[in-house]
Amino acid sequence: MAKRIALAQLSSCWGCDQSLVDLHLGLLDVLPKLDIVFWPTVVDYKLADLEALPNRSVHIGMVEGSCRTKEDLHLLKVMREKCKTLVAWGSCSIFGGVQGLANQWDLKELLERKFIQAETVTDPRIPDENMPGFTEHITPNPQIVECDVLLPGCPPTSENTLDALTALLTNKPFDLPTKTVCDQCPMERKEKHIKKFKRNYEGNIEAGKCILDQGYLCLGFATMGLCGAQCPSVTTPCKGCFGPTPIMSDHGAKIISALGAVAEMEPEELKGSFPDPIGSFYFTDYAASYLSKMRGKERGQEH
Amino acid sequence: MTEEKTVKIAPVTRLEGHGELTLKIGVDGKVKDVQFNVSSTRFFEKFLEGRFGEEAVRIAPRICGICPEPHHLASTKAVEAAWRITPPPAAVKLRRLLINAKQFSSHAIHFFALAAPDFLAGPLGDPAKRNVVAIIKALPDVGKMALQMMQFGQDLCAAVGGKAIHPVTSIPGGIMHPFSEEKRDEYLKRSEDALEWTTATVDLAKKVVQDYWDPITKLAIVPTYYLGMHNNGKHEIYDGKLRVMDPDGKIVADFKPKDYRKYYGEYVANHSYATHVYYKPEGYPKGIWRANTLARCNVVDEMTTPLAQEALKEMRDALGRPIHATFAYHWARIIELVQSLEEIVGLLKDPDIVSADIKLADVAPRKGDGVGCVEAPRGTLIHHYWTDERGIITRANMIVATNNNIAGLEKSLLTTARQIFEDNALDDLKLPEPMI
Amino acid sequence: MTAASQQITKSSKAKRKAKGEFEPRIVAFCCNWCSYAGADLAGTSRMQMPPNARIIRVNCTGRINVSFILDALHQGADGVLISGCHPGDCHYTSGNLKMQGRFTLLRHLVKEAGLHPDRVHLQWASAAEGDVFTQGITAMVERIKKIGPNKVKER
Ligand code: SF4
Ligand code: SF4
Ligand code: SF4
Ligand code: FES
Repeated sequence: MAKRIALAQLSSCWGCDQSLVDLHLGLLDVLPKLDIVFWPTVVDYKLADLEALPNRSVHIGMVEGSCRTKEDLHLLKVMREKCKTLVAWGSCSIFGGVQGLANQWDLKELLERKFIQAETVTDPRIPDENMPGFTEHITPNPQIVECDVLLPGCPPTSENTLDALTALLTNKPFDLPTKTVCDQCPMERKEKHIKKFKRNYEGNIEAGKCILDQGYLCLGFATMGLCGAQCPSVTTPCKGCFGPTPIMSDHGAKIISALGAVAEMEPEELKGSFPDPIGSFYFTDYAASYLSKMRGKERGQEH
Repeated sequence: MTEEKTVKIAPVTRLEGHGELTLKIGVDGKVKDVQFNVSSTRFFEKFLEGRFGEEAVRIAPRICGICPEPHHLASTKAVEAAWRITPPPAAVKLRRLLINAKQFSSHAIHFFALAAPDFLAGPLGDPAKRNVVAIIKALPDVGKMALQMMQFGQDLCAAVGGKAIHPVTSIPGGIMHPFSEEKRDEYLKRSEDALEWTTATVDLAKKVVQDYWDPITKLAIVPTYYLGMHNNGKHEIYDGKLRVMDPDGKIVADFKPKDYRKYYGEYVANHSYATHVYYKPEGYPKGIWRANTLARCNVVDEMTTPLAQEALKEMRDALGRPIHATFAYHWARIIELVQSLEEIVGLLKDPDIVSADIKLADVAPRKGDGVGCVEAPRGTLIHHYWTDERGIITRANMIVATNNNIAGLEKSLLTTARQIFEDNALDDLKLPEPMI
Repeated sequence: MTAASQQITKSSKAKRKAKGEFEPRIVAFCCNWCSYAGADLAGTSRMQMPPNARIIRVNCTGRINVSFILDALHQGADGVLISGCHPGDCHYTSGNLKMQGRFTLLRHLVKEAGLHPDRVHLQWASAAEGDVFTQGITAMVERIKKIGPNKVKER
């Protein structure tokens, strides 16, 4: 019998959703096994339809995105109530995503930049009619409600999502790997002697050779290996969009530790290479970092 | 009815982005107001500050997972403009291949997953049937073809961009990774199938146009301004000038994207986190414009490729120019679908596409500002960055495609809601029997 | 001097606390070979040292997991002090130099995240330098007193 599934989007880019759709013909095998009860991108059911379902009556709930608005918080809680197994789907959901970078600022500054100071705005105001209002701070979903399965990635590959769904449909566990992107990467690695960190536009990255060895910040070593090393395979540094492996507690801490070990540079020079450590070390998971959590507590994040 | 009624539709489905619809119906039964409440925003303009320009190019695609390629490219172009660098011509061709691949898959997805359910199941069909999943079940051949078309576009995006969702290869100064001859041959081969599917889609669309002639020409006729890119009058999506056409069809502005601030206004509606972008010289709401497929097809003189040009001519012969019929957006989408495929084939046949000379090695950041503008499937997209001498972003302004259309969408919804609720327009419309 | 502050000078630590005077909580990661021995020496020779520091012994500063430092702050420590061997004296040759690179990045990160960078501090003290060690702790306490409490704690 088909299992009931709900797919919900909090504030997000919808890329996780698109990545599921990108199974294309593969969808023809999966869809018959699913009884979709909520999926706004594709199906015309409304929030009220979801709210009307009995608690825990949906087998699988997939939550994409993070709580930027109070409406997101509501939808996340409804999903938790209605679903037996809740999947935090994608790096936004698990770690707060790229928009977690906004936690560097207070909400007031964010609102002002967008609605008051933007170059082209002609009648500044902060919209508040029939509007849900924002959260003060991006908090990763697993810190708000219990999530049973974590599936990282920005987005997870179509195969990742299929694997997770297949596991859930067959009552098998879905465990995250402790291996890293480097473990999946075809580039040839040598001993590291990094004398200078180059910016990605500098020079040309040589194909076939480890990008980090060549002095570009490739974060494969600190990043969960699930994507198949997509970026290094096209001679582009990994930015760490799948977040740290389950055994690393803080992505940036792990990266800083490794840089201290491989960089043969004066401390000040090393620091000068990374004027934006938050953007460089916490691409999609700043909201899950210790430092951001501290700011969150200061801001009195509301759940 | 004794009191004013508010109808809320939440969420609006089969649409990317977080939206709700609020309809206000007065005591007299008249539709007083339609609000399209875009209920989320993530503040990219702020959190891009302090980042390396070349990393903004990786962050920006996350604005939209359905159309990340245009963001990737607009972002790259903005940094390149700020740093005053010109990428090698072969890199530009790869970027054109990337954006056309996206245009193809996006238009296919939009037509089959977002729009076709209304045509095939009937706009008043059962919600359980009025979606692409049901189409796949009821019309497996159409469903399969739709999926294959999307896949062709998405696979090509991944082949050029490294990943289809959130591509990575474009960088200030060029492209990080060459396109191999094997891949070129593979996609040339696959484009033959794509052409067959596209032709079949055109036939399907023609049938839909015939069947729905009544609603197309009677419902949601909304005169607005139109915004779109062109290159010497020809349709353009990667790099060109912007044209604004007034509701009478007169070109009232033709400018370089870097001068956008003279022509663009952002009206902050109190009921939407997405601003309403409009033609500033006319003020709001008079200057409400729309972008996207039909707008582009309205402002350009001609398409770039033969089949697409023929299709444009056919639409203009039937509906004129400018076309204000909101349903014609789907028609224009099909015209652009055809063009994107013809463009893809042309680019794949260009020997430069497998060139290795695709990236400058001596890029130097500088202090300045730059505008990057491309046409995303859903409309004109602008990224404007200011960088310091290290190439770090100090300020960013972005005007995303959909914001160009929100005011027009509200206008169109209001017109339609009035037609339906006040004039009972649906009663007299000729609608075909649903196919599923 | 005002009447209120005169009162404080004669009151005990407990009373100061009751008055709301801030007593920082410091976590000190000390390398076993030099600094911890220095801390020991400071203890046995009864040097005056503020009671604010919880000392955690590690094999070498090069072995300190950067996430422990961040976690300490996250759990409410007002400051984190890292104390290792002088450059050149590290028992594992260059553990302390690695720490120095990491520390410089970490301090920068802490600052970018909106915290006062002085909440983390790195010092060198050898086994014989019990006084240097205690002075380091005292200076850390003073620094943190100036910055004020870690706001995480308050909630
Ligand atoms: S995780 Fe990435 S792909 Fe998924 S919704 Fe968030 S930004 Fe988009
Ligand atoms: S650092 Fe990057 S290029 Fe090197 S092995 Fe790891 S993932 Fe591959
Ligand atoms: S290589 Fe790194 S940045 Fe690229 S998709 Fe994989 S985890 Fe994300
Ligand atoms: S042994 Fe003391 S710092 Fe390495």
